Amino acid sequence: MEASIRAILFYVFLVLVVRIVGRRPGKQITPFEFVLVFFMGGLALTAMVGDDASLTNAFLQILTIAFVHFLIATARTKSNVLARLLDGTPLILLDNGQWRSRTLSKMRIQDDDVMAQARDQGIATLDRIEIAILERNGQISIIEGSK
Amino acid sequence: MSEVAFQKTVGDSVPKINDEVAVGEDLDFQRKWWKFESVMWWIIALLLLLNFAGVFGRGPVAHAKLANDAMLVKYERVERTGTPSILEVQFKPNTLGRGQVKLHVSQSIVDGLGTQRVIPSPSDTAIGRGGLTYTFSAEQAPGSVQFALQPSRPGIFEFTLQVPGSSPLSAKVVVMP
Repeated sequence: MEASIRAILFYVFLVLVVRIVGRRPGKQITPFEFVLVFFMGGLALTAMVGDDASLTNAFLQILTIAFVHFLIATARTKSNVLARLLDGTPLILLDNGQWRSRTLSKMRIQDDDVMAQARDQGIATLDRIEIAILERNGQISIIEGSK
Repeated sequence: MSEVAFQKTVGDSVPKINDEVAVGEDLDFQRKWWKFESVMWWIIALLLLLNFAGVFGRGPVAHAKLANDAMLVKYERVERTGTPSILEVQFKPNTLGRGQVKLHVSQSIVDGLGTQRVIPSPSDTAIGRGGLTYTFSAEQAPGSVQFALQPSRPGIFEFTLQVPGSSPLSAKVVVMP
């Protein structure tokens, strides 16, 4: 019982912290994020396990997390508010040659990150981008203009 | 052709930019979230500062002392569940020098604060008066006794220590989860 409550608390706490830390652009996790994931995972593990390192505890905590995740994922599909709270909304970074500088700064993204994604799609210059969007999963989508 | 249940007409509910690209951006929500994020970063910074100070245990603010004419007690006013710490009783010169010294500790030191060991081992232990009375062989000052604590559950625990014949010393210890 106590172990399950601890698992739920840590799950909710980590979801909140990871949400506040924010999304960083990129298709793959960078070494920068690797550190975060491993560190947080390791620290959470220590506290979650506590003095009960039994197989039963591990089994039940995994089941608890899986069930809470299932509940939250289901609730997210039913509620737009919850979906926005958990994932945020897509954000426009560049629109018709104009940078959204406040969005870039608040999301801790540089114009180089956008250009890197543009080059990845074979777009060589900024003026060929019609719109650049930071997606909810942290990827940057680039839509090429007609000119 | 068989009928397919639960079909739904495709509808585009995502707002478009210039009627061209469906993005679904919600800047009003995002501005509120950024405000919330800023507040949360300040709260996180404050919590970390308090932590460095020892408000949540294991820091300067958590260290505490109590004293009377018989002893000086050094302890942590904030403990953490499952984390070892030391409560030290230093006897004053007038308490020692009689071949032995007795120390009465309340039951909360054993139960709530989770005494694991008493260093040195007492020559005798008696139960009663809501706690334990330890007897230690003692020579001249200085001399001290240490209690290795490891609380097993969070809470607020009040403990009392007394050398028979002198006034008791009491304090509260907060055990963090």
